[in-house]
Amino acid sequence: MKGERADMNKLKESGWHFLLIVICLVLLLPVLFMISNSFKTLQDSYHSMLQIIPAHPTLNNYLTLDKQISLLRIIWNTFFMATIVTIGKIVTGLLSAYAFKYFSFKGKKLIYFAFISTIFVPFTVVMIPNFLVISKLNLLNTALGVALPQLCDATGIMLFLKAMDKIPNSLIESVRIDDIPAYKILKDIVVPILRPNIISIGAIFFINSWNEYVWPTLILKDKNSFTLPLALQNYISSEGGTNFPLAMALSTIMIIVPLLIYLIFQRYILNSISSSGLK
Amino acid sequence: MNNRNKKNKVLTIAYLFPTALILLVFIIAPIIYTFYLSFFNWNLIAPTKDFVGLENYLSIFTDPVNRKIILNTVFYILLLLVLNFLVPYFISIIVKFFISKMQTAYKIIFFIPSLFSLVVGAMLFSWIMNPVSGPVAFFMRNLGLTLPNWTNSGAMAVVVICLITNWKVFGYNFVLLLTGLGSVPQNIIDATKMDSIPKWRMIWDIVFPLNKSIAFYVLILTIVQGLQYVFTPISVITQGGPYYGSSNALYHTYLNAFVLYKTGNASALAIVTFVIFLVLLYLEIKFVEGRTSRYE
Repeated sequence: MKGERADMNKLKESGWHFLLIVICLVLLLPVLFMISNSFKTLQDSYHSMLQIIPAHPTLNNYLTLDKQISLLRIIWNTFFMATIVTIGKIVTGLLSAYAFKYFSFKGKKLIYFAFISTIFVPFTVVMIPNFLVISKLNLLNTALGVALPQLCDATGIMLFLKAMDKIPNSLIESVRIDDIPAYKILKDIVVPILRPNIISIGAIFFINSWNEYVWPTLILKDKNSFTLPLALQNYISSEGGTNFPLAMALSTIMIIVPLLIYLIFQRYILNSISSSGLK
Repeated sequence: MNNRNKKNKVLTIAYLFPTALILLVFIIAPIIYTFYLSFFNWNLIAPTKDFVGLENYLSIFTDPVNRKIILNTVFYILLLLVLNFLVPYFISIIVKFFISKMQTAYKIIFFIPSLFSLVVGAMLFSWIMNPVSGPVAFFMRNLGLTLPNWTNSGAMAVVVICLITNWKVFGYNFVLLLTGLGSVPQNIIDATKMDSIPKWRMIWDIVFPLNKSIAFYVLILTIVQGLQYVFTPISVITQGGPYYGSSNALYHTYLNAFVLYKTGNASALAIVTFVIFLVLLYLEIKFVEGRTSRYE
């Protein structure tokens, strides 16, 4: 009787695993086919689209891309923009999290609330004025124009604050009594302790910025200033005439960086995402 | 003492200043300016703006295109809630309570598409669902069926667009919800096992109430973030078409502002969207108590 029940449970569990593995395949197979088709000729990509190993592997799509667009320049633009945004968000996030955690001041609750509420502001309500400001500053078609409005991030402040909880209060108190200036405490104590958090939160910022599409399309009109998502968008035709092997080659280039970052920092990244949902 | 207080005040201001400045210039002031613009007719360039009072707001409720947009937005929200909230929630419960190994492996794999741009997602789905040359059409042809040209139907396009965002955020929401389930105390779960209470009862009566706050957070996030996420596939694949059939409040705002140069209409629609998001923010604070009030 007991054995029968255990067998039944095992069977049920296998059923669930089957479902979960199907989900894995649904999520990942498209990416796998994308990478594989990027090494196929246009003809092969149509006639044997579901063959994972290309019959006649070719680098032609990548070479064509390189001829049609200034690929290196576009990769550099994306990297440069994402780097500015990431550094900006880390610096402003650490500074304000430090203030919320260790300074006492009037209206702290209200200011914190105001900062966090900005998560709920839809981009449509700020895009017209921001576009006007960036164009007034003559920053259209520049990475700085894309980065400037995004140099701070409320989610980041929240995550840094949570990370600071793990620093013993007694440690900070003891150095504060010795009249060590705040910036030194931040630089020599807080930052080294939070190093893994800073790396993972920074990685999340970088990946998000690397993939960003909406705001850059408003600011970057000149093809030389394009980032990868904008360049890719140009290869997708709504009329159905997309050259998929080409678009897939560009997409493959585009996913390498986020994938590498995830490969290296996977545990830290998932921990940070998890903690963003907790109280 | 007084000196020290003063020093502290200066320090506080210095540390909060960079964030406050950016938020003030690029979020707070723009909200006010957009609100101001919503009372005018303007084209983004002309030196003068015509004051029209509430006309732009009235047109949201009277203009047939705008009415269609509002209905579409509701359709999007419902679909996003099912695909990006209920489905990951269901799967996270399976992974937490119904299987005993490989939890971490699923977490790592499910999260992978979250790393990729929605433009890549849009490209992939326009390939998979391509009515002529895509794999789905290929399989259906073998079965003697044809895949309809879904870009010609607003409703079908909305479904595909939501599926694209689902591909991206499924793993992200799954990780958040699974973390929430992880905070249900193990001894409660064990106790129900000893009393041989059925699993679904335990989940319904104990897990759901205990996990309410994080679930509600993900639910709100699904709406607020989801409506902004669908913008990318709309813009890449359908541009809101056919005849506004796959557009929503956010895409229509963009279209009015930067394609049709009807800044006033765009601003009014943006403000309405903002007010809806504020209501959601209020609900979040009410239901997810303590999230924002911990630093008094």
